[in-house]
Amino acid sequence: MNFNLYRKELKRNNKNLLIWMSIVIGFTIMVLAIFPYMAEMGESLAMMLDKIPAELAKAMGMDAQTWSSILGFYSTYYGVYIIVLVSIFTTSTATVILSKEERDRTAEFLLTRPVSRLAVYTSKIASLLTLSVAVFAVQTIIAIIFIHLFKTNDIDWNLFSRLQFGGFFLMLLFTSIGVFLSMVISPKKNLMGLVVGITFGTYILNALGKSTEATEWLSYLSPFNYFDLSISNPGAPLQYFAAFTVLIICAVLLVISYKVYSKKDIAS
Amino acid sequence: MKTENIDGSNAIVVHDLSKNYGKDIGIKNVSFEVKTGEIFGFIGPNGAGKSTAIRTILGLLQANGGSAEILGLDALTQGDQLRQQIGYLPSEVHYYNEMNSRELLEYSAGFYENVNLSLIDELADYYDLDLKKKIADLSFGNKKKCAIIQSVLHEPSVLILDEPTSGLDPLMQNRFFDMLEKENKKGVTIFFSSHILSEIQRMCSRAAVIRNGEIVAVENIQTLLEKQMKKVRVVFARETNYNLPAGAQHEKSNGNKLSFEYVGKVNTLLSWLASHELHDAVLEEPDLESIFMNYYER
Repeated sequence: MNFNLYRKELKRNNKNLLIWMSIVIGFTIMVLAIFPYMAEMGESLAMMLDKIPAELAKAMGMDAQTWSSILGFYSTYYGVYIIVLVSIFTTSTATVILSKEERDRTAEFLLTRPVSRLAVYTSKIASLLTLSVAVFAVQTIIAIIFIHLFKTNDIDWNLFSRLQFGGFFLMLLFTSIGVFLSMVISPKKNLMGLVVGITFGTYILNALGKSTEATEWLSYLSPFNYFDLSISNPGAPLQYFAAFTVLIICAVLLVISYKVYSKKDIAS
Repeated sequence: MKTENIDGSNAIVVHDLSKNYGKDIGIKNVSFEVKTGEIFGFIGPNGAGKSTAIRTILGLLQANGGSAEILGLDALTQGDQLRQQIGYLPSEVHYYNEMNSRELLEYSAGFYENVNLSLIDELADYYDLDLKKKIADLSFGNKKKCAIIQSVLHEPSVLILDEPTSGLDPLMQNRFFDMLEKENKKGVTIFFSSHILSEIQRMCSRAAVIRNGEIVAVENIQTLLEKQMKKVRVVFARETNYNLPAGAQHEKSNGNKLSFEYVGKVNTLLSWLASHELHDAVLEEPDLESIFMNYYER
């Protein structure tokens, strides 16, 4: 770990962090601020929900509670707006944090300083983790504040914790996939399309899988399936096994990525 | 020139170093030794493998075989410790466009122990470099100046220079050579890679010659010069009979004009020129390819 490099990486990414933080905060506030108006519409919304095809309602995680409590409302949009957006930021940053030095040909400068490739790698991953945790933590704090502001009844904070817990580990997983992809795909390729495809695509895959029994198998292919991002099971424990599995997968992806990085020829 | 402060030990020992790119050979069994305090030339045409050899020694490329030792440390496995004592000036300079020169130099200094940051201003004055300008706005020559400063800022024991003068105007080249001589007087070992023979002649006492990825000779510069072919073009004052000097070859004549290639002592050639009444005489430095052909023909 090299703190000179770590600090520089944070500084280099601070503009991007602020932009994405603003987007995620904006969406969080928007979703929560709409809730009081939706709650006021009460019965008419419940009737509307009845008219939505059952498959679509299941796919979107909507049920009777969805629009009657702020947490239910938040959970409907949490996966698609918050996790996907946060993950697009962290994963796209992950795909360039090492490869940008190669693409911009600054890797020659960096790797001729007295610093090992392991130190370069760990410093960059540490800065990536810091950025990811920062954006996630700010989103969580904003969500707590605005849930307090707009709540219409008591909040089950355990449910909220479970949502955020799942979101955090999904973000870590996508971020590690981003690091791995940047090591196995040419640094000259822009991976933003692939990043959006993977994060949003796996969300859609899970939604499709949940819509009917015939397509249920699809959801097994999506990491979203392994974390409960709905409020339909109050009192259910945190999904530690899924979190542990994600950590193992992240560790494997990061170790393989380092092995590739440590043997990489740095083109002039 | 050649103010080297050489002691008996070797600062750099490269042995049978090889690097392949798939089936293509980058360098093959490259071996040479550089003495502590020496200014050692590394010369070859573009694409000969000079940069590949340097980049392999510095660990940017993974060697396929052989070894490289600098200051007693294995350059291929202990590079991070070693680079504390190495200054590297690349042939092409690529820095972080969002930084200005001062930020870049301070960032670079942050990787080393006990860097005297006042040297940044001192060296920037010496090279007329505006430290406030963004890297993105710097010309190639100014980026090169920035690269020169970063290579010496941490006061390294070994300087590895790859085509160091490209992009520098003649005035800056002279300042750069003066700086190298001062560094060398302080005991710094300098590995000077170039395709410009006159630079190697000016700075170095010995040089390795590389061609197609292989070392074809490690010579004293004096020996290299004696082997160096010169292209000679003369215009006689009138049509005349002449006998070419020993060492002349590939003669072409047209009326009172004569051209030939010459390999040998320069005094012999000058005596021959002086013994004829001439309107004009031109001696050209041959391109490197011609010099290397000399090595193969001998």
